Amino acid sequence: MTVLNSITSFLAQTAADPAAAASTSAPVEPTSIKSTEFWMPAGASNFAAEVDWVFHFINWINVFFFVLVVAIMCYFVWKYRQKGREVYARGPNHNLPLELGWTILPTIIVVVIFFMGFKGYVSMRTPPADAYQIDVTAQQWSWQFKYPNGATSADLYVPAGKPVKLVMRSNDVLHSLYIPDFRVKQDVVPGRYTTLWFQADAATGEETYHRLFCTEYCGKDHSRMNQRVYVLGEVQFSDWVTKQGRWLEELAVKNPGDASILWKVGGPRLYGRCASCHTIDGAPGTGPSWGNYDGSGDVWDRIQAGAVHKVDGGKPIQDFIGPGKQYETPEAYLRASILNPGEHVVSNYGNVMPTFKGQLRDAEVDVLIDMMKNLKDKDGKPNFDAKGRFIGSMGPAPAGSE
Amino acid sequence: MTTLDARPTIAAEAPDNYLTFRRGLLSWLFTLDHKRIGVMYLFAALASFFVGGVMALLVRTKLLFPGEVAWMTADQYNKAFTLHGAIMVFLVIIPSIPAALGNFVLPIMLGAKDVAFPRLNLFSFYLWMLGAICAVWSLIAGGFDTGWTFYTPYSSTSQAGGVIPVLVGVFILGFSSIFTGINFVVTIHKLRPPGMTWFRMPLFLWALYATAIIQVLATPVLGITVALLVIERAFNIGIFDPSMGGDPVLFQHFFWFYSHPAVYIMILPGMGIISEIISVHSHRHIFGFRFIAFSSIAIAIFSFLVWGHHMFTSGQSPLMNVLFSAITFSVAIPSAVKVFNWLATLYKGSISLNTPMLYGLSFIFLFTIGGLTGIPLAVLSTDIHLHDTYFVVAHFHYVMMGSALIAMIGGLHHWWPKMFGVMYSEFWGKIACALVFVGFNLTFFTQFMLGSQGMPRRYYAYDGTSAGIPGYVEGMAETFRIYHHISTGGSYIMALGFVITGIYLLHSLFAGRKAPANPWGGASLEWQCTSPPPHDNFSKTPRVGDCYDFSAVHWDEKQQGYVVDADAHASSATSGKGH
Amino acid sequence: MSNAHSADSHDAHGHDAHHGHGDHAKYPFLAHHFDTPNQQFESGKLGMWVFLATEVLFFGALFVMYAIMRFKNPEVFSYASNYLDTILGGINTCVLILSSLTMAVGVRAAQTNKKGLLVTCLALTLAGAIGFLVIKYFEYRHKFEHNLKWGIAFYQPIDAQDAETVKMAPKPVENPVLAIAAPNPSAGAKVEPIVPLPPVDRSAIALPKAGPDGVATVALVEKAQEPVHYKPQAEDHLLDPMLPPQTHRFFAIYYIMTGLHGIHVLIGVGVIAWLLVMAMRGAYSSDYFTPVDLVGLYWHVVDLVWIFLFPLFYLIH
Repeated sequence: MTVLNSITSFLAQTAADPAAAASTSAPVEPTSIKSTEFWMPAGASNFAAEVDWVFHFINWINVFFFVLVVAIMCYFVWKYRQKGREVYARGPNHNLPLELGWTILPTIIVVVIFFMGFKGYVSMRTPPADAYQIDVTAQQWSWQFKYPNGATSADLYVPAGKPVKLVMRSNDVLHSLYIPDFRVKQDVVPGRYTTLWFQADAATGEETYHRLFCTEYCGKDHSRMNQRVYVLGEVQFSDWVTKQGRWLEELAVKNPGDASILWKVGGPRLYGRCASCHTIDGAPGTGPSWGNYDGSGDVWDRIQAGAVHKVDGGKPIQDFIGPGKQYETPEAYLRASILNPGEHVVSNYGNVMPTFKGQLRDAEVDVLIDMMKNLKDKDGKPNFDAKGRFIGSMGPAPAGSE
Repeated sequence: MTTLDARPTIAAEAPDNYLTFRRGLLSWLFTLDHKRIGVMYLFAALASFFVGGVMALLVRTKLLFPGEVAWMTADQYNKAFTLHGAIMVFLVIIPSIPAALGNFVLPIMLGAKDVAFPRLNLFSFYLWMLGAICAVWSLIAGGFDTGWTFYTPYSSTSQAGGVIPVLVGVFILGFSSIFTGINFVVTIHKLRPPGMTWFRMPLFLWALYATAIIQVLATPVLGITVALLVIERAFNIGIFDPSMGGDPVLFQHFFWFYSHPAVYIMILPGMGIISEIISVHSHRHIFGFRFIAFSSIAIAIFSFLVWGHHMFTSGQSPLMNVLFSAITFSVAIPSAVKVFNWLATLYKGSISLNTPMLYGLSFIFLFTIGGLTGIPLAVLSTDIHLHDTYFVVAHFHYVMMGSALIAMIGGLHHWWPKMFGVMYSEFWGKIACALVFVGFNLTFFTQFMLGSQGMPRRYYAYDGTSAGIPGYVEGMAETFRIYHHISTGGSYIMALGFVITGIYLLHSLFAGRKAPANPWGGASLEWQCTSPPPHDNFSKTPRVGDCYDFSAVHWDEKQQGYVVDADAHASSATSGKGH
Repeated sequence: MSNAHSADSHDAHGHDAHHGHGDHAKYPFLAHHFDTPNQQFESGKLGMWVFLATEVLFFGALFVMYAIMRFKNPEVFSYASNYLDTILGGINTCVLILSSLTMAVGVRAAQTNKKGLLVTCLALTLAGAIGFLVIKYFEYRHKFEHNLKWGIAFYQPIDAQDAETVKMAPKPVENPVLAIAAPNPSAGAKVEPIVPLPPVDRSAIALPKAGPDGVATVALVEKAQEPVHYKPQAEDHLLDPMLPPQTHRFFAIYYIMTGLHGIHVLIGVGVIAWLLVMAMRGAYSSDYFTPVDLVGLYWHVVDLVWIFLFPLFYLIH
């Protein structure tokens, strides 16, 4: 096993960045909850115990029948092996009691198993009336969770000890929300709402989390829609939700003298949603980079009056920006490109950006626009690194940041 | 007349057989002989298997590394697994047993001179080639990354250029399958010789008949489904687009209405082969003939009622989920009982462990696992956890590859002497079988644990990346890596086994020992003609006996093969010792 | 070298000489793998019936889709079917039924060795099939001229003048519920907002009379609750304030189903033409009329499908 381990760790050196550099400010990186059993991950919801029980019950029956079949097969093959060229073997062709028996017994077993599964399933499909509702939006290739007070989050935070109901929709193609530790899964379908519910009793705090996956193939980055699920105790949860709902406002309130804090701290946080398609440093991606990718400047510079930035198969966007034109100001164009991205499509890119209408508040759109305006500081040095982290010079130390 | 020396050519001195009947490329391309058509299908399917297998090895090799790799992007990976699935399902598994082995064996086993519609048979083969060409065209057009299941709305909006070509190819392949099915149904109904009643027909033919019924009834729905998807993509009609009032889940219903019966198209003929192999190589009458025959028909009928068990988490109503789950068990029971019947056939047999029998025994082992692991997937509460994870991948590979494909290879070894008149190397046959068996279990058994521990399927990377940050969900690589490594190692071992198989089989064509008419001691009609068979199969109408009655079969030292005493055999059947 | 691919006759290699099958010498149309002409005929017949079963399932899936769409949007179907020309559809139905009749008579003629009648009937059937397609062409052309098409095209104005008229029409309030979230990448054109249904004038509906107990009878209540069937108010559907949302879906399924049926009629044209040529050459007789019989079966099923399509699209409002 050690040989295997050394081989696996050798092979583990991937071409990508080491996984450690995930966050700049948090001193201790939270970890996911690991499995302790052979078959199932650690159960952490009200369904886990029953699902695991049924699974293991089926497993043991399977093991029994498998061993039975294989043992009998091996025994017969040995005992009745051909001797010489002896050909004709006399053996029974029928045995009605045996045939009936081995038909009826498995039937009874599967009927029992069916009812066990049925019972568990009915409870999965019947959320309690007082469940805490969280709205989920899935799109290629990210999740967004929205709380009753308007707070949004990329990771799923749930209160411990209370039933939670997720009301889910997709903005584009099929996705599927899967939390293995909770034993829940439901496809997320565009054009309709699907739901799932669970209750997690053990709080994870913010140091550990469960894993959340997209599990219905949705395109290129299907394997990169992973998120964390934090289960917080009652007080901690309500604190978090309140702060989350007002995180932008909190930032502003805590830094009254420094309006730029919004885009310096808030920008990178919001940029996470954009990062899967838009790079900051000019590198190619599904969408045009915010940085300088074709010599015409970064996203703010290239939509200014003197530049030429081609959209819709060769028309300069500058034709649409200006007093009396479709967009009065470049900010208006940037806003429209976030909320109605199909209106004008940058040349050489496909019309694949989903709208963020309903997912970003006006204040959040403003922060993103400010970030795009401030990709470089006044000396031309970049304010943000390739991952969107702020590397420019801060004003006074920001409070209320992550 | 015969010696034990290896013969340098296949049938140089043999009297007129179907291989030497006429020579030249055109005589093959325009043949109406079901045997030649079967052989062409065989090599075409095996070539496609090779391509699909290379795709699989690419996928498994990528999965050695949890994160991004420089030599394969996510898009290429998605195209690789999609192509693997599409090739294996549509070009290999669905056609291979019915069209390759079935075409060759069915008329001879039945006692007929050919299938009912030989020209339709050739046309089916041309359609298969056309479908394969469409698949190649789709690669040139940019490939397709939708998954072989083509779920909407991703498949109706994907920018990949090869989607419409491959859908056209699938449509054409569907008709190839339908015409083969029509041919088999009519052949079995109308071309049986006198004395060959339904209950004297070998179980392989019952299986092919049940398969043909499914092919005829289910495949048209696949045709419509892919046609609708092509229309959706080309004309933007909006039947699957929610913003135009359509329903993406409707596609899943249409798709699985065919694709579930399709998996029975894959497995039923395989089970038929196993019935033949087990009974011939144990020299024992099959146990429970009528049950096995009826269970094939029952499985064919019930297979149409359970498609929704692929859609438990799709948003389908809970009532439908419950109904589909319940009915699914009705399909499981007949399959289980067949396994018991085969075991009972081994009882008091006279078992010779040659290569076909080893494949037959592997089938029992692997199909038991495959079938039993279908149970947690049919049970609602566990399926919610297991759906769309590697558990499902493991289950269907056990039944599609470990069972159907293994049965196909076993059948190939069983009928190879008959088809080509040569014996392959038993030594290498056993080695390859062992390699495939061990490699297969290493590859796929680990995937059960991968799935139940929560690893989703169709994942390029398992390093927990989120929004461009690798390792955001940490620990995934550590949890899953060991399983992926074992699985990939197993896949290389399995590939080696297949390569060795290909080598010794090809080698036997050029340098194999001449095969007797009946190397294994079978009692069904195909063993009563020469190896290879003559062009017209039978010079006179064959005399039908009980095809599982080995009392009239004896070893003949001179021929180094078995011989059936036709008179004794036929009279034993009429003497009332029936099924 | 030699023909392994001969049409309609057995292998000319002389195998019948080996086997001494008198039947093969006697019946030149008997294929080598059949023992008797009857076996060949029965096999062909069974094969054709099995093939027709596949056709039933082929169209059956589309009928299921029709049912689902109709169930979800009944008002769309009852409204849009008014745009179909029932007269032309009715003529088409008669044409097809008559062609089925001539086909059946033709089969009988072949069975009874009446070559002249057979040729006449096949020619008439062919004429019927072509006539069907011609009428279909006119139907489709009329619809395309009025943009009664599938998908987004349904909402495009026909020409510049129509665009003006549509633009002048009072703008509906943008209903955020109906607004399309993300434009379809391959759409290209902008979609006009969907015109919402006008409110039903409830006061115009007479209340049911009270019965002896002060409660209206069931029949009257049901009558009062009958859905109001919308009829198109304007030639140009874009100007019709009663246009239900999702009406494009009717035309989607209409073209798919009638189009697929039309393709089958076209295939029928080809096959019947081939039959006609062979019949004129005298290939069919009371000994051998199998192809006529089988094509007849195919043609009857094509006709049958239309007999289901016609009421479902044209007649039910």
